[in-house]
Amino acid sequence: MFKLNLKIAWRNLWKNKVYAAINIGGLALGLTAFVLMLLYINHEESFDSWSPDLKNVYQIREKHDFFTPDNKEHWQDAVDSRMAALVKENIPQAIAVTRVDQEWDWNSGYSVKVEHADPVMIQKVKDADSSFFSVFDHQFIQGNTETALKSPKSIVLKESIALKLFGTTKVLGKTLKLVIWRNDPGQQLTVTGVVKEPQTPQTVGFNAIVRTGEKDKDPDNITAKHYCQVYAKMYGDLDSVSLNKTLQQVYVKAKKASFAKQKINYNDYYKDGKKPGLRALQLSEVHANPAIQLSWKDKLKPIVGISIFLLLVSVINFVNLATAQSVNRAKEVGVKKVLGSNKHQLLTQFLLESALQSVVALFLCVVLVEVVLPAFNQHFNVTLSFWHNPRLLLMIFELVMLFFIVTLLAGFYPSWVLSNYNPVSVLKGNYANGLKGTAIRNVLVVFQFVISVTFIIAIGVMYQQTKYVSNKDLGFDKGNLINIRTNYEEKFAERLRKIPGVKYIATTTQVMGNAFNIPEEITYKDNNIALNTVTVSMDALQALGVKIMQGRIFAKEYKQDTVNAVVINESAAKLIDKNPVGKLYDVKSNKEKYTFQIVGVIKDYHNEGFDKAVLPTIYKVTHLGGMSTTNNVLVRFDSENSAQIIRKIEAEWKVAYPNYPMSYVTMNDSLNKVLEENNRFMNMIVLFSTISVSLSLLGLFALSTFVAKRRTKEVAVRKVLGAANYEIIHLLNRSFLILVIIANVISWPIAYILIKKWLDAFAYRIDMPVLPFIVATVVSITIAILTVSIQAKRAATMDPVTALKYE
Amino acid sequence: MIELKNIEKYYANKGVKSYILRHVTTTIKQGEFVSIMGPSGAGKSTLLNILGMLEEPTYGTYEFMGENVTSLNERKRIELYRNHIGFVFQAYHLIDEMTVYENIEAPLLYKKVGSAERASRIANLLDRFNIVAKKDLFPNQLSGGQQQLVGIARALAAQPSIILADEPTGNLQSAQAEEIMQLFQKLNKEDGITIIQVTHSEKNAEYGNRILHIADGVVKGDVQV
Ligand SMILES: Nc1ncnc2c1ncn2[C@@H]1O[C@H](COP(=O)(O)OP(=O)(O)O)[C@@H](O)[C@H]1O
Ligand SMILES: [Mg+2]
Repeated sequence: MFKLNLKIAWRNLWKNKVYAAINIGGLALGLTAFVLMLLYINHEESFDSWSPDLKNVYQIREKHDFFTPDNKEHWQDAVDSRMAALVKENIPQAIAVTRVDQEWDWNSGYSVKVEHADPVMIQKVKDADSSFFSVFDHQFIQGNTETALKSPKSIVLKESIALKLFGTTKVLGKTLKLVIWRNDPGQQLTVTGVVKEPQTPQTVGFNAIVRTGEKDKDPDNITAKHYCQVYAKMYGDLDSVSLNKTLQQVYVKAKKASFAKQKINYNDYYKDGKKPGLRALQLSEVHANPAIQLSWKDKLKPIVGISIFLLLVSVINFVNLATAQSVNRAKEVGVKKVLGSNKHQLLTQFLLESALQSVVALFLCVVLVEVVLPAFNQHFNVTLSFWHNPRLLLMIFELVMLFFIVTLLAGFYPSWVLSNYNPVSVLKGNYANGLKGTAIRNVLVVFQFVISVTFIIAIGVMYQQTKYVSNKDLGFDKGNLINIRTNYEEKFAERLRKIPGVKYIATTTQVMGNAFNIPEEITYKDNNIALNTVTVSMDALQALGVKIMQGRIFAKEYKQDTVNAVVINESAAKLIDKNPVGKLYDVKSNKEKYTFQIVGVIKDYHNEGFDKAVLPTIYKVTHLGGMSTTNNVLVRFDSENSAQIIRKIEAEWKVAYPNYPMSYVTMNDSLNKVLEENNRFMNMIVLFSTISVSLSLLGLFALSTFVAKRRTKEVAVRKVLGAANYEIIHLLNRSFLILVIIANVISWPIAYILIKKWLDAFAYRIDMPVLPFIVATVVSITIAILTVSIQAKRAATMDPVTALKYE
Repeated sequence: MIELKNIEKYYANKGVKSYILRHVTTTIKQGEFVSIMGPSGAGKSTLLNILGMLEEPTYGTYEFMGENVTSLNERKRIELYRNHIGFVFQAYHLIDEMTVYENIEAPLLYKKVGSAERASRIANLLDRFNIVAKKDLFPNQLSGGQQQLVGIARALAAQPSIILADEPTGNLQSAQAEEIMQLFQKLNKEDGITIIQVTHSEKNAEYGNRILHIADGVVKGDVQV
C-alpha cells in the first residue's frame, strides 16, 4: 500500500510539474534561509563546549563604569586584576584562578619575529599568568599543562600558528621575539607547548598564550588598576547563588579596606545608584551574555522572525496550491471511499505526498545551503560548515524535525480537506460542497501578502534611514584624515609634521573607531553634573575639523590651555550653561578641588554608531604624559594625494620602529565599519523580502491558474452571453484584488509598529516616512494584478466552445 | 437480502419540502438482477445511493443482510464496502493516476488481502475480461468500453455479494453496452451475484429478471421478466 501510494504521489507530482516545482522550489528557498539560521544558532550555542571540564569554569565579572560607551555601570568582564587573588583566597572551591588579557577588537595583533625572518603580525596573542592551562584544559600536542607556563617568558602556540611560524609542531624550546608596542624593545620567549584547536569556538580564543610575567602580579600602587579577565575553575558542583553572595560580600569588604587606605569615602563613591558588585558567571553562559554589546540571541531575534516568516510564506504556497488542486483529486477520494478506504488511510496517503515534496525540498535545501554558505560566511564573518559541523548529528536531527513540522504544516490541512470529501457529492459530479477551503485559502493569501507588504515597507524606511545616516553631518571632517594605531610620541610626530602635505599630527582618546570614555563629575554653580572627559593634544580638534560654535578651541598661544582650560561640546553646554564661555567649574578629586575654565563650545561630533547619542563631553589638553596610551595618532592631510603621503609616513615609521609594522585606518573606513552592521541587516532584509515577495507572487500565479481553470465553464458561458474580454479579466482579478487590498490595510499598522521599534534604536533617525507605505501598496497591487491578469487573459481569450464541450 | 420499508427522502428548501422518494417499500432477494427504470429526475440515482449507503433516507428503515443499516457509522459502512458491495459508475470513475492493474488491486489492498492471493485474483479478472494486455495502461489510454470493463473488474475484485450500477452503459455505444450487459447476466447467473442497475434502456433492462419502474419518487411498477 505504501509503495502504491508513493507511486501515485510521484505520478501526481509529475503530472503537475509546474506547480510541484513552485511548491518544492519555494519550500527549498524558505528552508534554506531557516537552515542557515539554524546553523548559525548551533554555531553560537556550541561556544565553549569543547571540554566537559569547562562546566566548572567561571568568568569573574565586576560592576564598574570604566571603559563603558555610555559612562554607566555595567557588569564587565574586564576586571581589576586583584580580583583573581580575591577569589582564590576567599572561595575554598577555587582550584585555579587565572588572569588573562581581554580581547580588544581594535588590537591588530602583536609582531612576532622568528630568528631572521620578517616580523609577522599575529592576532589574539594573549598574556596570562601561570594558571591559564590549569583553568582551560587544552589538549597539548607538545609539552603539557604543568610545565607550559611554569616559568615567565614562555609562550604556548596553537597548532596552526606553530606550523605557520616554524613549519612544524616540534618546536619545544625554540625561541621567538615578541614585540607588543611599536617601540617595545621586544622580549625573547621560549616555546613551551603547542595545543590543538578545540572542536568548538571559544570565548577565550587565542593564537598564542604568553606568560611575560606582567600578569603575575597586581600593581603595587593601590590607586592603580590593571584591567584584565579573570577565570576560575571550581571544584565540584557549586551553588552559583551562594557563590555570588560570598563574592559580593568579599568584594564589598575589600573595597572598603582599599578605600580606607586611599582615603576615599565609600558612601560618597557609591551614590546615585552606583553600586559595588562582583560575581561569577558560568563559562557556558558567557557567550550568550556579553558584558556590553547586545548578545547574539538579541541580535538574531529579528532574523529568526524573518526566516520563520519566509518559511511560512513558502508553506502557505504549499497549502494553497494543494487545496486548490484538491478539486482534481476529489474523484479519487470519492472512489477510494466506496472501495473501502477509510479517512485515516486517505489522510496518510495525502500526507505522504506532502512528505515526498518536503523531502525533495529538503535535499534541494541542503544543496542550496552548501552553495550559499561561503557567501554567507563571508557576509557574517563566521566559519559555518554543514558537513564538518561538530554538531552534525544534532543538525541532522533538527532537519528531520523540520521535515516533520513542514510536512505537517503544509500537508495536514489539505490532506484533511481531501479526506473529508463526501463521496456522493463528488461522484455525482457536484463539487459545490466539496470545495471547502476557499475561505482559509483567502486568509492564507492575505497573510502571505501582509508579510510581503510589510517587508516592502521595511525596505523603504530602512533605505531612507540609511541614506539619512550616511549623509548626516558627522560634526568632523572625515575626508583626508587617517588614524595610525599607535601611541603618540612627540619626536615621531615632529618628524611626520615635516612631510609635505601633512597638516596636523595629533592624538585624542576619542575618535570614531576607538573611543575611550572616562566619566567625571563637575560642580557648576552648586550643581553636580556627570560628564564625559576626553584628553586631546593641542591641535587634535583642528585635526578633526570640528565646528566651533562659541569661543575658541585650544591653541599654542594660550599658556593656560595645558593647565585648566577646557572646551565642551554642545550637549555638555546644554547641561552646564547656555553661554558657558569664560565660566568656571570645579572638579573634586581626593578631597582637593580643581577649577577649570570653559573657553569654547564645539558642535557634537560622532565617534560611535548612530544608535548612540553623543555624550556631553569636556575636552582637555594635558601634558603629554597623559596620552601615551591613546593608541590613536591622527594625521590630517591638506591634499587629496594621500597615498603618496602615507608612503612617506610609512618610510619614516620603518626608520623609527623597524620591529613593528605600521597599521592605520582612514576615517572613511572607520565610519563604514560603524555603519557595517546596519548595512548588513538591511541587505539581509532586502534579500529576504525579495524572496518572500517572489514566493508570494509565484503562489498567487499558480493559485490564479487553478481558479481560472475552475471557472473556465463560467467564463465560457459568460462569453457566450456576450461578456467582453476585459470584463472577464476584471471578474477574475476582483477577488484577488480585494485580498491584496485587505493585506495592505492589515500590514500598515504592523509595519508601523515594527519599523518604529527599529528606528527607535537610533539616537539619530528620520521621522516615520509615509512614502514607503504608499509605494508598497501601489507596488503590491500592481504586481498582483499583472500576475493574475496573465492567467485571466488566457481564460478570457479561450474559445468558449472547447470549454463547454469538456465540462 | 435487502429490505426497504417506507423509505422517504426529501430536501427542505426555505421550509418547502421537495420529495425525491416517497413510500418506497420493497424486498430484493439474494441472486436477483433488478433494473430500476424511470424518467430523468425520478429519483433512481437517489434510491441507488440509499441502497449503497452513500445517502441516508430521511425516513424509513433499511435492512441489509438482516441488519438495520438505516444510519450506520463510518467504520461499519467501510466494512460493508470492503466485503459485500461493489459499485459501477456511468462515468467509470477509475483513478487516473493508477494503471489498470493498480485500479483493480486497490479494493484488495483496503481489504488487506495477501499479495499472492491478490496477484492470482487480479490475473484471473484480467484474463476473464480479456484485458491482460492492457494491465499497465492508464485509464485515459483505454476506450470507454474498456474502462467500464476495468470498472466492473474492480467492483468484482473484492468478491462482493451485490453490485450497484448507476447507468453503467450510459456513456457507451450499443455494441459495448451489450457486452457489459451480457457480462452482468453471466455474473448473476454463474456466480450468483445480486445486481441492481439503473438504466434508461428497455433492452438493457431485459437482461435482468425484475424491473422497478419509478416516477416522481414513487414505485409505479414492479415487474418480473
Ligand atoms: N442535494 C439535493 N438537493 C435538492 N434536490 C436534489 C439534490 N440531489 C438531487 N436532487 C433532486 O432529486 C431529484 C432526483 O434526482 P436523481 O435521483 O439524481 O434522479 P435520476 O437519477 O432519476 O435522474 C432531482 O429532481 C434532483 O433535482
Ligand atoms: Mg441519475
